Amino acid sequence: MKIPTRNPLMVAALAVAALFARDANAADPVPHDESVYGAKALVSMACSKCHGYTGVSVSPLFPNLAAQQPSYIEWELQLFRQRARSDPHARAFMWGIARALDDEQIHGLAQYFSSQPAAKGAAPHDSALAAKGKSIYEHGVPEHDILACLPCHGPNAEGVNTFPRLAGQHRDYLAIQLRQFTGQLRESEIMHRFTQNLTDDEIAAVSEYLSSK
Amino acid sequence: MGYAPTIFRLGTLATFPLGAVVLMLASTPARAVPPFARQTGLACEACHTIPPELTAFGRRFKLNGYTLTTRPPLVEDVDDYKRNTVWLTDLPGLGILLQATYNHYNRAPPDSQVPGATAQSENLQFPQQWSIIGAGAITDHVGGFLQMTYSQPGGTFGVDNTEIRYSDHTDNNDWVWGLLANNNPGNQDVWNSVAAYPTLDFSNQSLWSSGGIAGAALSGPFFEGLGGLVAGPTAYVWYKDSFYLGLSEYHAAVSGSVNTTIDSSDLAAGGGVVQNWAPYWRAAYEHDWGYNAISVGTSGMYTKFTPSLIAGQTVDPGFINRYLDVSVDGQYQYNGQHYNVSFLARYTHETQENDPGLVPTYFSNSVDHLNALNLTATYYYNRHYGALINFNRTTGTSDSTFYGGNGSPGNQYEVFELDWLPWFNFRFMLQYNVYQVVNNNQNPFILLQSSHPRASDNNTWDLGLWMDF
Repeated sequence: MKIPTRNPLMVAALAVAALFARDANAADPVPHDESVYGAKALVSMACSKCHGYTGVSVSPLFPNLAAQQPSYIEWELQLFRQRARSDPHARAFMWGIARALDDEQIHGLAQYFSSQPAAKGAAPHDSALAAKGKSIYEHGVPEHDILACLPCHGPNAEGVNTFPRLAGQHRDYLAIQLRQFTGQLRESEIMHRFTQNLTDDEIAAVSEYLSSK
Repeated sequence: MGYAPTIFRLGTLATFPLGAVVLMLASTPARAVPPFARQTGLACEACHTIPPELTAFGRRFKLNGYTLTTRPPLVEDVDDYKRNTVWLTDLPGLGILLQATYNHYNRAPPDSQVPGATAQSENLQFPQQWSIIGAGAITDHVGGFLQMTYSQPGGTFGVDNTEIRYSDHTDNNDWVWGLLANNNPGNQDVWNSVAAYPTLDFSNQSLWSSGGIAGAALSGPFFEGLGGLVAGPTAYVWYKDSFYLGLSEYHAAVSGSVNTTIDSSDLAAGGGVVQNWAPYWRAAYEHDWGYNAISVGTSGMYTKFTPSLIAGQTVDPGFINRYLDVSVDGQYQYNGQHYNVSFLARYTHETQENDPGLVPTYFSNSVDHLNALNLTATYYYNRHYGALINFNRTTGTSDSTFYGGNGSPGNQYEVFELDWLPWFNFRFMLQYNVYQVVNNNQNPFILLQSSHPRASDNNTWDLGLWMDF
């Protein structure tokens, strides 16, 4: 389906619709067991091995979680637990890690990582590419029917609610996620629509820009 | 060690008894461990580039005592101070490993029963090795890896790698420390740099046995052949995911032997016994960036050893040879979204001081030296298709009394391997082993009384299947 591209109101409507759609599918609550690991113990024992103790990871295979939106972390962990997000890395890593988390733990993890200081953006490898990415992020690519990212992810790419923070994220991680959205390997109806016309060059540009913020 | 139940490999000493070919077992290490996957819920790729080589995450899992799980324990009891008295996982940590292989010799090997006759050039080992593995968290701070293995061609079943770990760490993981006990120096290593966990699959480092003929062990560093002969504790510390130091002490622990000092049957089987305590060290530095990890390190061992000089002969334990093995190693890994690359290099220098009472009757020299170089490169695409090249070269002091023949312990060979993994825990392997140098009595073809057995006689094609579940 072609979506209207130059109508900011439609963009906002799609975003709000996506939020409500998510809420309607909210996970069944899992009662908290006082004897299980608290959030900080979980971070220390499990999460930190890939994402870093303060949510800043080394390998681009694993996203930075520091200063990530808490609602986004909670939502994604619930998707992992339900096996409702099934991109290859989610299956290999997060399905297993999240399978036994209860809601209290998920909430605690979201609070922990969202309160960590954000990762500093890396210096861009290619300034011209980053500038092109900035333009795509802020204005989209009208001739390709690609909408701007800014209305949902914020002027500083800090995210809001279940729209994730993108600033300072690993360049390769962002590129991998965008390719998975375009290839529909990662679930997100709205991102499938928004990324369907993105070219590899445009993905590289947006990733370069956001990782440098 | 791969496999070393009651018969074990002793590097150069395997050829000790008057040049007789000592029965050795082609050994393979533990590879991926399904019980760990069940416990953590993580795919194999979390811990392994391609098993048994560990990723950065796999190294952390092992150093943290195999205990990682987010699953609540099945049973957890606490005392009045809220300390755990019982903590049990809800899954039994059991797994099966099966390995089969079809081998083709470049030249038909000597027959085991009829002197001068040859056996078939091919053999099929199904299974070549079959292991039961118990692995995973024992308590919230203690984990273990216990392996029992049936192995061809000996047809024996016995204790293989065994390790129990305790570990703890600061909240921020800057410091991880632990205590462990195991029965194989190097089993505790997380950089795959020692013999207990080589990168090779279907390793042919012992010349392949065929048609009922026992293969002969190639000369190699002494401390790499002590698996199953010794056991001991290790204390280690790991700082900021970068600096590792582990110190161990090993003592003779021959299975089934009451007196491990002078038991003649064990001496005959194993070529001797380790005296008192043998210190072992491992230090390494690792740096990770992006998809990359690089490490440099050293390991080594000082061992006092009473050799058995003739099979079945009880030896005065007063004779003691002293071995000092010093290794340096380096590793580079690229663990990307679609492919993995790794390079592994290890160089070992060994100084062997022979007891004056054994020179010149059993050794030509009072001091022998050995140098071993191992280089391995691997590439895997999407974890389905891969290739491996391995180069090995050993040189050393000529000691015609000890080694026989021309006295050289030298050997040189390469392994070329193609892999197909339809699933991560199910691997087909085509391997070609090419020998340039196989000196002296280590060459089984000497039994054919060939005046000049060629190293290339030992070249083999191996078609292998490996799986665990």
